[in-house]
Amino acid sequence: MFFSVKNPLCVGDDDGVERKIEFLHGTTTLAFKFQHGVIVAVDSRATAGSYIASQTVKKVIEINPYLLGTMAGGAADCSFWERLLARQCRIYELRNKERISVAAASKLLANMVYQYKGMGLSMGTMVCGWDKRGPGLYYVDSEGNRVCGDLFAVGSGSMYAYGVMDSGVRHDLTVEEACELGRRAIYQATYRDAYSGGQVNLYHVHSEGWTRISQDDVLVLHHQYKDQA
Amino acid sequence: MALQDICNFQSVFEDSLTTEYPAVPHGKKIASNYVSGLPFSNNKSLFHFYIPVAEYLDESPIQFGQISTVQNCSADSSEDPFLTSSTLPTCLPFASSQSVPLPFPMAHGTTTLAFMFQGGVLAAADTRSSCSGLVACPASQKILPIHSHLVGLTSGTSADCALWKRILARELRLYQLRHGRRLSTSGAAKLLSHMLHPFKGTELCVAATLCGWDGGEVDDGCDYHGGTETGPGSHGETTKNQMTEQKNFVDSTNAKVSLAKDERFSFSEQCFIRKKMNLSGPSLFYVCSDGTRLRGMLFSVGSGSPYAYSILDQGVHWGLTVDEAKSIAREAVYRATYRDAYSGNCVDMYHITSKGWTRRNREDLKEEYYREKQRRKHEKTERRDVTFSD
Repeated sequence: MFFSVKNPLCVGDDDGVERKIEFLHGTTTLAFKFQHGVIVAVDSRATAGSYIASQTVKKVIEINPYLLGTMAGGAADCSFWERLLARQCRIYELRNKERISVAAASKLLANMVYQYKGMGLSMGTMVCGWDKRGPGLYYVDSEGNRVCGDLFAVGSGSMYAYGVMDSGVRHDLTVEEACELGRRAIYQATYRDAYSGGQVNLYHVHSEGWTRISQDDVLVLHHQYKDQA
Repeated sequence: MALQDICNFQSVFEDSLTTEYPAVPHGKKIASNYVSGLPFSNNKSLFHFYIPVAEYLDESPIQFGQISTVQNCSADSSEDPFLTSSTLPTCLPFASSQSVPLPFPMAHGTTTLAFMFQGGVLAAADTRSSCSGLVACPASQKILPIHSHLVGLTSGTSADCALWKRILARELRLYQLRHGRRLSTSGAAKLLSHMLHPFKGTELCVAATLCGWDGGEVDDGCDYHGGTETGPGSHGETTKNQMTEQKNFVDSTNAKVSLAKDERFSFSEQCFIRKKMNLSGPSLFYVCSDGTRLRGMLFSVGSGSPYAYSILDQGVHWGLTVDEAKSIAREAVYRATYRDAYSGNCVDMYHITSKGWTRRNREDLKEEYYREKQRRKHEKTERRDVTFSD
């Protein structure tokens, strides 16, 4: 179940809404669980049709110090709803005096967007965190899907990333190896997918919260991998 | 790869001419819906061209039993009950909601890949033929040998691919008999591309990757001894490859020797060097029924191709050994079958060298899938033990 990528060049829709400017439909975001938590890796390119609007978009939203959300789809939709989710999570914390679980946070988000199902929202996000059950990873999208899993890739470049991730992911990876796998998967996707590129942003979610590991320009990675080969 | 336009295409050939067609060749049913757009479809001109292929060229490809919305194809489709199509009949089948369609419809339910390296060309493909959701054949052959040194990978409608491969094989054999040498892969690709051109815009769906080893020997079957024996003039069709130096590049052993010298060059520079002196050696072309004809070092075609591409891009470089290349190809097909519903079952692998093609035994990927599943289950139980002991 991929997040459907809309063709930004087709004007007009089934519901009659014309979309001229599309951001973030072309993207590659991925996340996978392993023994030390969750690795989240994203690219940073935003396209409007064939125009590259930006190469430095932040596609990971820091909901709170132990929860991350990725963005794929309409940038406005993603950032708005995830900020709303951050607010809801904070309210939960204040009311119940304990942190919200990843399952509950993703459920809140799914319920919020479900009310707008069919109205043209476009969002495919992964909610990643660490709660008392251990690492948590949920995929939530504007169609109403909410799925728990160990490994997800979302966006136009997701298929390329899946190939690399599937062949490399194991539960017993070290943090270094997992980061390198995530970085490589995003790089391979940016290599083949025209709508992904820019930089690879890498985050690691562990029991103490999330840490930003690295930000690498894809061209630098290209030379690095070429020299390695 | 770019055949999405064909899948979107409406049938152009809808006017029906009168049924004045005198002779029904070979007792075939000719429906009243007559193709008017093809060059051979004119009543009169049919009998002036004597091209044996013309008999079926004058029928609309729609009437070959392809799934289409034209009503009168149902009679013809019953003639061919075993026709399997590995394309999806309609476009945009899986948009999960109507408001967010896919950028292009996924076509050619298959995964085929081929790449060049110092040991020749390696071609691999899965073996699943699907017919919009039904696995019509779990053991089909997508890699079809054309002659001893040329192999074609097929993607698209399996009937179309099988037919055109046979036509190409016949044409290449005729060329060989007339001219005393084999046509190069580049020439074969050009020939196929020109033969498919009249069908541009129809529902014909063929995306073939031709992998071959170009030699220059006069007699069939004898080993090629080096580029020095055949001058550049005899290969008129490979005019873009100017032979600037007489380098022996054919035998795989020799290739390794020259490779050792080339190691210091980067991959892209090596390609350039190879192209400059390429009168013979491995060769890889992609030909598509929409007119594309591309030369390259690595191709993957089909719905499973993105998964395969990322594995291949990671691992393929010129200096691979044969075993490494085989294992990368197998891993790439396996990963594609793992994620893509339209690819699966077994993997076929062919290796083309100066001595011709060799085929590896068909391997069932189910075993690999269960091995991996066991491994993951094992890791999960380990993790459970670890968390309990914390």
